[in-house]
Amino acid sequence: MKISDFLKIVMAVGFITFSLPVFADTVSDSDQPLSEVACRYEMKVTSFSTPKPKALFTTAWFFWRKPNMIQTQDADGDHGEIWERTANGSIQYRKLYHIDKTAVEYMPTDMPANNMKFDWFKLSGMLSKEELNTLKLIKIKSVLGRNAELRKGNINGQALEVLWLPNENLPASIIRKDKKSRMELRLIDITPLSVSAKKPVALEEISDYRHIDAADFGDMENDPFVKKLMSAEGHHHH
Amino acid sequence: MQFFKKLNLIAAVSILTVGTAHAVEPTPVDWFNAGYQTVFNAKRLIANNRHAKNVILFIGDGMGVSTITASRIYDGQTKGGHGEENSLSFEKLPYLALSKTYSVDQQTPDSAPTMTAMVTGVKTIGDSLSVNQYVVHSEKNANIINANKLATILEQAKQHGLSAGIVSTARITHATPAATYAHTANRDWEGDSDKLAGATVPDIAAQLVDFNISGGIDVALGGGRTRFIPNTVKDPEYGVSGKRKDGRNLTVDWTTKHRNARYVWNQAGFDAIDPNTTDHLLGLFEPSHVHYEADRVAYDQSGEPSLTQMTTKAIDILKKNQKGYFLMVEGGRIDHAHHSGNAYRALTETQQFAAAVKAAMDATDPLETLIIVTADHSHVFTIGGYPQRGNPILGLTQGVGATTPDLDLLGLPYTTLNYANGTGYTGASNAQPAGSKTFTIPATAGWASGSEGHNPTSFQPANGRPILDSAKVEDDNYLQEAIVPLSAETHAAEDVAIFAGGPKAHLFHGILEQNVIYHVMAEALGFN
Ligand SMILES: [Zn+2]
Repeated sequence: MKISDFLKIVMAVGFITFSLPVFADTVSDSDQPLSEVACRYEMKVTSFSTPKPKALFTTAWFFWRKPNMIQTQDADGDHGEIWERTANGSIQYRKLYHIDKTAVEYMPTDMPANNMKFDWFKLSGMLSKEELNTLKLIKIKSVLGRNAELRKGNINGQALEVLWLPNENLPASIIRKDKKSRMELRLIDITPLSVSAKKPVALEEISDYRHIDAADFGDMENDPFVKKLMSAEGHHHH
Repeated sequence: MQFFKKLNLIAAVSILTVGTAHAVEPTPVDWFNAGYQTVFNAKRLIANNRHAKNVILFIGDGMGVSTITASRIYDGQTKGGHGEENSLSFEKLPYLALSKTYSVDQQTPDSAPTMTAMVTGVKTIGDSLSVNQYVVHSEKNANIINANKLATILEQAKQHGLSAGIVSTARITHATPAATYAHTANRDWEGDSDKLAGATVPDIAAQLVDFNISGGIDVALGGGRTRFIPNTVKDPEYGVSGKRKDGRNLTVDWTTKHRNARYVWNQAGFDAIDPNTTDHLLGLFEPSHVHYEADRVAYDQSGEPSLTQMTTKAIDILKKNQKGYFLMVEGGRIDHAHHSGNAYRALTETQQFAAAVKAAMDATDPLETLIIVTADHSHVFTIGGYPQRGNPILGLTQGVGATTPDLDLLGLPYTTLNYANGTGYTGASNAQPAGSKTFTIPATAGWASGSEGHNPTSFQPANGRPILDSAKVEDDNYLQEAIVPLSAETHAAEDVAIFAGGPKAHLFHGILEQNVIYHVMAEALGFN
């Protein structure tokens, strides 16, 4: 299961607005380069809609950060996502299907219409500056041997508790909670990218992948990859 | 809504053929006279049996009859009228036929075999571009492709000394434009990196630039830049890498291979082109498809020409050839908007497509130029209910004399426009919650990817229907309800219209196989 799908499941259980819109205009003050890191995170969602709290999902995934590239990958290595910041400030976004050696592109042409705006700071750290500033600093702690700020507050009607690593500009944990569910993101492992055993897929390798514009899906109904992608989850439910 | 007044006599003769903004309401006599006038005009219609000097083939990709009707009403309403009385430019062309769009192996076709039928006179199998039905899908062997390729009207035009151009809002290597100049058994092999390993058949972009009949293609305007640029070169507008692995920069090859050739990629470069001094123009305005017309002006960072501007520039370059020209113009994103389930963008694309046809009609002489306007296939797009005259076409259905929207048997209002299948299904999808779906997601859902339109891969069963209101359904980004949940709305199998005017246009009559379109063009150009 890929991270984006995981998040969609989170949405489907009623956690619809668990973040603020990612507006490009907030990028301006986030241009100082962030450290190159390799992280492993775990995510857990619990539903309160049932009489007893029910664990809906637990998943682990990888996160790599370079000054102009963010890449994620599922624990099983099947799926990932990549954002690249180009020299002129555009952000290229692709979904990666490693088993099929295929990348699905979301073209800049269709991004404004689709309201796809990227905040590089938020992509790099999973929370926007606005969100962080909304949360009140409670105390300073130590997590994984690093300084961490415990921050709490409410965003869009959800209680938010964040352990923020100010030196790394990354969360050690994010807990979002409302009446229906609880989502927890926890940092398991963080190392400098240069010494990390698990590396992101190289850009050269990705450039050899087959590339499909998401706008073309409607005309690719007979394509084996698109067929598989579109029916993969459609046949699950009851 | 009784803002129309009595019609005068002159207005009467135009009421059925011209969409007049704020026209006065016709009386029974006006209706009678206007109907009579139409017949009077028809009696004087004389078949033009001359040979055509020029042929312009307009393709509204996915522009079925319901799309034309809804676009006509939308266009009329944006001009301030009721809408129904309006006519899109091409609806005024004098001849009409219906086209049967099925392909050799598909009841409901895709754009590759349908365009192949139109430009070669031969139906073929799905995904194939101007090769016959005996070539297997994704055939790698260039010799087999060569042995089975079908001559296109564009190639024949060049062989006869005419000029030739292609214009599209899709990638210029996309199925519809590609069928005019390329031969391949997989429409997706647009760049060399798209091909299967070991395929010797050249990719579509290379076939465009290497087209070598009579000095090459004269005008090619559209999208699809990255398939022309090597992976070592960055895109000038967005900085993303090109996709070619063979090291060729086809935009450079274009200018070195052709005489008086130019390559442009933005509005400024396009505007600077003097048709009198440019003989070969390649314009690639986006890495992939160009913007929807609804978004083009507001969002394109480097500016890009409209379909109308591209069409006009193409004609200005091609018309320099005294022997004439063949031009293909595609409104390529009507299809994409429908696949997304967003009627607003499909209608505004069609509106722009009609404007491009009008520009061509204005720029040419009907005595010597055959203009054909058709679609490759339809979409499952419906206009339903019993809305009153002038009811907003994107709005809730409201019956004659009613002051509130009509209700279904659940007691809920509904829209006039709907889709039989697709992304607008109202159960929760993996991308959007239960209820109405939107093309644009208002807030980014989660940290991961931002929104991406509504490209669902799963749905939950819907629970009844959502409660709709006018503001919601008339929003530009509303996705009309779909009955069958699918990841993308689909093409439809019913016939599409062929509109025609000019030399030999009268040969279009009745219900025709789609490949007849080629034979009329060949007859008009004297190639038979
Ligand atoms: Zn299509």
